Amino acid sequence: MLKKLAALSKKLLFRDQESSYPELESSEVEALRLTFKSRYHSFKLLLAANSRILEAMADMEKALQGNEPFSMSFVQTHCTSISVNVFRMINDMENIAPGKYTALRDRFVVIQRRIDALLGQKKQITDQRLVLPLEAVTSDMIDMVGGKMANLGDVKNRLHMNVPAGFVITAAAHEVFMSTDGLQKEIDRLFQVAGSDEDRNLDLVSSQIRQRIMSADVPESIYLAVVEAYTQMKQHNNGKETRMAVRSSAFGEDAQNSSFAGQYRSELNVGFSQFFFYYKQVMASKYSVQAIAYKLNRGFRDEDIAMCVGCLAMVDAVAGGVAYTCNPLNSRDDAIYINSTWGLPKAVVDGNDLCDLFVVSRDDALTILRREVREKGFQIVCYGDEGCIRTQTDYVQGSLPSLTDAQVQELADYAIRIEQYYETPQDIEWALDANGTISILQSRPLQQIESVLPEATLDIEPFESSLLAEGGITTSSGVACGTVFKVAKKVDILQFPEDAVLVVEQALPTWAPLVARASAVISEQGGFAGHLANVAREFGVPALFGVKGAMTLIDNDAQVTVAADLGRIYRGRIEPLLEWKRPEPKLMVGSPVYESLREVSRHIVPLHLLDPESRDFTPLNCTTFHDITRFIHEKSVLEMFSFGKEHSFSERSSKQLHYKVPMNWWILNLDDGFTHEIKGKYVKLEDIASIPMLAFWDGFAAIPWDGPPAMDGKGMTSIMFKSTMNPALVPGLRSKYADRNYFMVSKNYCTLSSRLGYHFSTMEAMVSERSTENYLGFKFKGGAADHDRCMGRLQFIKEILERYGFRAVVNADNLDSRMEGHDMEFMNSRLRILGYLTLHTRQLDMIMNNSALVAYYMTKLTKDIDSLLERQPAAQAGSE
Amino acid sequence: MEKKSKFKILLVDDEDVFREATARQLTVRGFIVLTAEGGEKALDLVKNEAPEVVVLDQEMPGMHGSETFLEIKKINPLIEVIMLTGNTSVDNAIELMQRGTFDYLMKPINIDDLLYKIEDAYTRKKLNEKQRQDTGL
Repeated sequence: MLKKLAALSKKLLFRDQESSYPELESSEVEALRLTFKSRYHSFKLLLAANSRILEAMADMEKALQGNEPFSMSFVQTHCTSISVNVFRMINDMENIAPGKYTALRDRFVVIQRRIDALLGQKKQITDQRLVLPLEAVTSDMIDMVGGKMANLGDVKNRLHMNVPAGFVITAAAHEVFMSTDGLQKEIDRLFQVAGSDEDRNLDLVSSQIRQRIMSADVPESIYLAVVEAYTQMKQHNNGKETRMAVRSSAFGEDAQNSSFAGQYRSELNVGFSQFFFYYKQVMASKYSVQAIAYKLNRGFRDEDIAMCVGCLAMVDAVAGGVAYTCNPLNSRDDAIYINSTWGLPKAVVDGNDLCDLFVVSRDDALTILRREVREKGFQIVCYGDEGCIRTQTDYVQGSLPSLTDAQVQELADYAIRIEQYYETPQDIEWALDANGTISILQSRPLQQIESVLPEATLDIEPFESSLLAEGGITTSSGVACGTVFKVAKKVDILQFPEDAVLVVEQALPTWAPLVARASAVISEQGGFAGHLANVAREFGVPALFGVKGAMTLIDNDAQVTVAADLGRIYRGRIEPLLEWKRPEPKLMVGSPVYESLREVSRHIVPLHLLDPESRDFTPLNCTTFHDITRFIHEKSVLEMFSFGKEHSFSERSSKQLHYKVPMNWWILNLDDGFTHEIKGKYVKLEDIASIPMLAFWDGFAAIPWDGPPAMDGKGMTSIMFKSTMNPALVPGLRSKYADRNYFMVSKNYCTLSSRLGYHFSTMEAMVSERSTENYLGFKFKGGAADHDRCMGRLQFIKEILERYGFRAVVNADNLDSRMEGHDMEFMNSRLRILGYLTLHTRQLDMIMNNSALVAYYMTKLTKDIDSLLERQPAAQAGSE
Repeated sequence: MEKKSKFKILLVDDEDVFREATARQLTVRGFIVLTAEGGEKALDLVKNEAPEVVVLDQEMPGMHGSETFLEIKKINPLIEVIMLTGNTSVDNAIELMQRGTFDYLMKPINIDDLLYKIEDAYTRKKLNEKQRQDTGL
């Protein structure tokens, strides 16, 4: 752009412009003024759209680092916003240069189609059966029945173990349910309205969606299919009414790296009369606060998750629990860990009580290596014909082991066989009925997390005086430090600060949404088999459960260090322990939502049109939206600049700046950039009304340039070489090529293309009361030194810009920096920095191989800039 | 915020809370704000009150926003219309921009962004009116 702009302006400027333009009729002048005004308005709208696009692309690139969770709604909203604004730029360009760049529309359509194809991708359901009996289900049907029921189908039909009779309401039924009466569309709309505030509005969105689902009618086709399946189940039960466990089996649930542990609803002991109410409850639980938060944190796309529902004959368990086929905190320990309690296994998976632990060896005899029989104060049992209740356990029974040795070994045998079948460690839910039969209720991959602390060699003596609490069970290993936040009620969830240490009384699944935001979790109760423990391991968050008195021992807002592996909590920050802090896992990377963003961003973010001088800089070579915006931005500036010449309209031709003497700076007034209409060739600084230009000039003229830095022989050789190649570049020699600088200004806008000696820079600024539309862009390239030193200078300038809040990147041999969204005063202070840097980085490339000089100039420049920022800006830049 | 010269805008949205809150915010910023909860009433107001700029929700029961937009343009092609949408479909947005909507804003909106769009739409309308006058069209 710079060279073309220079060439164009050269033609404009080095002719006697005033006399060469023909005299225009006043009506012609008026028409030209109006046309220019209209084009300038389009130019302003185009710049605002360009700015919004660049901001949205920066958001996308940040999200692609994978550190922060984002939803599909983020991807869609950003894509739509970028598309609309690119289209807006094409429209505005059409107004600025009618008919000249029509090929851009075709390019837009091609790119948009590619993005639409990616965003519209959805798993197609091929099997339309609404209900399947469990006898017919195997893991090949995962896309029809969800992970949980697919796994259970294998245990029943391929491993031939005891699994209750039942049926699955399939993904096809989910689609029928959600498409009836536009339910899914309404849900999408509610998510979109919540927009980027989805996290903050989570409670509201969740409750609105669940209400919509609960008030929907179950479609007749689903109703009839369920009645038929239930009738068959009843027939197998000798015609007796059968109570059921209604369980979620969503897509993605119980998968290798994402358990969705406890995120969805399961309802136990449901009679048929209440069945459809609870079916809808399970469907609605796809949108519970914890499920939405989990999907957001793990990057699942809502549209990819069909909620299948498993219905199993209820096992009226006398004991139940969870078996792990290896130690979840140490994969070298391959013993079977069985957690067991009286009554239904729900007490164990909800993590709300201590339970018995049996550790079984894999040897042929299945030797029981350890028995930890605990006091089990209460149990959860079926309550008559409907639901479950929590009851006190008889004192004597409570302290007895909940399984006999033979049952422990039978269960260990099942666990080993299931693990052998899946070829990966398993987390198995089981129940024992009054007849002594063990049924398998669920099997999924075990979430494991290895210890990081070298306990054997670690000397903890020096910080034992800071010990605050100890004990409990390590449920997720690791070390972390944070401020304590105790959570007792659901409403506390909303106040939970990022990276706080979560302290709770019970390790309930309800707290799962907080785990991703917590640095560590401490609970007074609960064991390592609960859902919350699973989620902590999955997110790599250290967790210590069963810490007696934690809620009273630890104060809110206190800073603590949690060493989960040591079972210790310390006051303050214990650095030697934190050296073993696990790096934060990039949970988004590779997730479906992340992949969607990565794929669409390929059609949006990369910039291929780097060089406006190149023959390839054409609409046809625009392959991304970034290319289109870059192309339009470049051409729109040129079109605005050339208007005066093309229409022989002197009022919109550039004027030479007269600052003490005539200078090599030319200024084109776009609208209200001068205080009044300027006749003749020159414009004085006091005639300039452009806020950004004056701020820039204030920085430019504030501190005199000391002249070129002292050069060594190599620097001089380089200059001589370049000067030989281009004699016009000899410093100090006044030439028509050296030091050409062009401003285009209005009151709130300014763009500058400058060439001071050997480097080119462009600056563009919008500075007005509209803070959200304010932006600064600064690009820099070139130099007389060799490539390495030119690059050194770019890095040098980048470091300074970043220090003062700019976003800066170096691509090839270009520095590109930007900032936006600040108020006028702040923007003007940054423009003064750009003015200063434009002058004072002159020829600094020459010293970039001398680290002492680089350090000297870094100190000098930042000191100058700090003094520049401290002093009041010149009220009138031209008055000095 | 600086008080802007008063001109008439019409805000059309079926969500009462959003419509009333937005209308209040725009009124304190110096605009004369007319409101309608649906397409039919909006068309009446366009005919009888001649607003300069219309802010129109796309997803409305009854007369859809897109249809309302096309009817408004039939009454007065120079009125500038800003569409609000909670819908993610980009197809609709592009199609309506091709047919002359001034711009698209996605809900939830930032009130300042809406304000700037309204001012820009007003400027565009005045420029178009003047150009039309000058060219005698």
